[in-house]
Amino acid sequence: MSFTQQKEDKEIEEALVRDLQAGNLEAYDRIAELYQKKIYALSFNLMRNQMDAQDVTQEVLLTLFRKINTFQGKSAFSSWVYRITLNASYMKLRNKKKEPNISIDELLPSFNGAGFQQEKIQDWSENTESLLFTNETREVIKKAVDLLPEKEKVVFLLRDVEGLSTEKVSEILDLTVPAVKSRLHRARLFLRKKLSGYFEEYNSQKGGK
Amino acid sequence: MICCKECIDLLHDYFEGALDQETKNSLEEHFQDCPPCIAFLNTYKSTTTLCRETLNQIEIPDEVRRALQNFLKEHKIQQKKM
Repeated sequence: MSFTQQKEDKEIEEALVRDLQAGNLEAYDRIAELYQKKIYALSFNLMRNQMDAQDVTQEVLLTLFRKINTFQGKSAFSSWVYRITLNASYMKLRNKKKEPNISIDELLPSFNGAGFQQEKIQDWSENTESLLFTNETREVIKKAVDLLPEKEKVVFLLRDVEGLSTEKVSEILDLTVPAVKSRLHRARLFLRKKLSGYFEEYNSQKGGK
Repeated sequence: MICCKECIDLLHDYFEGALDQETKNSLEEHFQDCPPCIAFLNTYKSTTTLCRETLNQIEIPDEVRRALQNFLKEHKIQQKKM
């Protein structure tokens, strides 16, 4: 995104916030139009359930309208929206029975004493194009992301899926930049390992034919 | 020369273009002699792309969009009454 674009977005955001704080009901629709897709997508990726994501989206929109006067503009309005979305999703998840998370460390690469890789690494990256749009692959990917521990998952969703900058994610989650980087890297290592199992099996089946 | 462990620790910054020239050179030197790390690098990159392309396709389903519109409409009516 260009600097001018960012500046324009910021100005539009600030004007909307002012309208909303002044009680302008037209601003409701514009805020909903601008943010509901982001709110829905993030909460859906966290909960993987349409009804829950709908509930959270309604709740977040309502919170934005009701609490707009507590928004002080210390961070970007969009960061505030993301934070409210995360809180509402976590509240919802807390009421559900959760599957235990697997430890991320077990899935990180292993090295010998000299720091060299111990596993055999297969390069499956060339063969993913044809696989990407099959339902099976999409399911495998979604399951792998669902298995990520919460701390890593949220960073991964905001940074890699939403495409926000490291700095923005650190603002939303109130984490340092190195902490965001390290969680993102761990999430990617975890997912790489999970996807490797699937693609390596696919390649060996294909090779055996 | 750096080892595989150091190499993998640097991947995040490598893709961000955040490494200084010297570190970047030694990383690329390592890649030349280490096919497993090249495979790791390629699959690390692919993982990010695959996950992004799978998860950022989410659209609001029509029935949810309608429900949200009704919800907002009702909320606005309530606000006007207040």
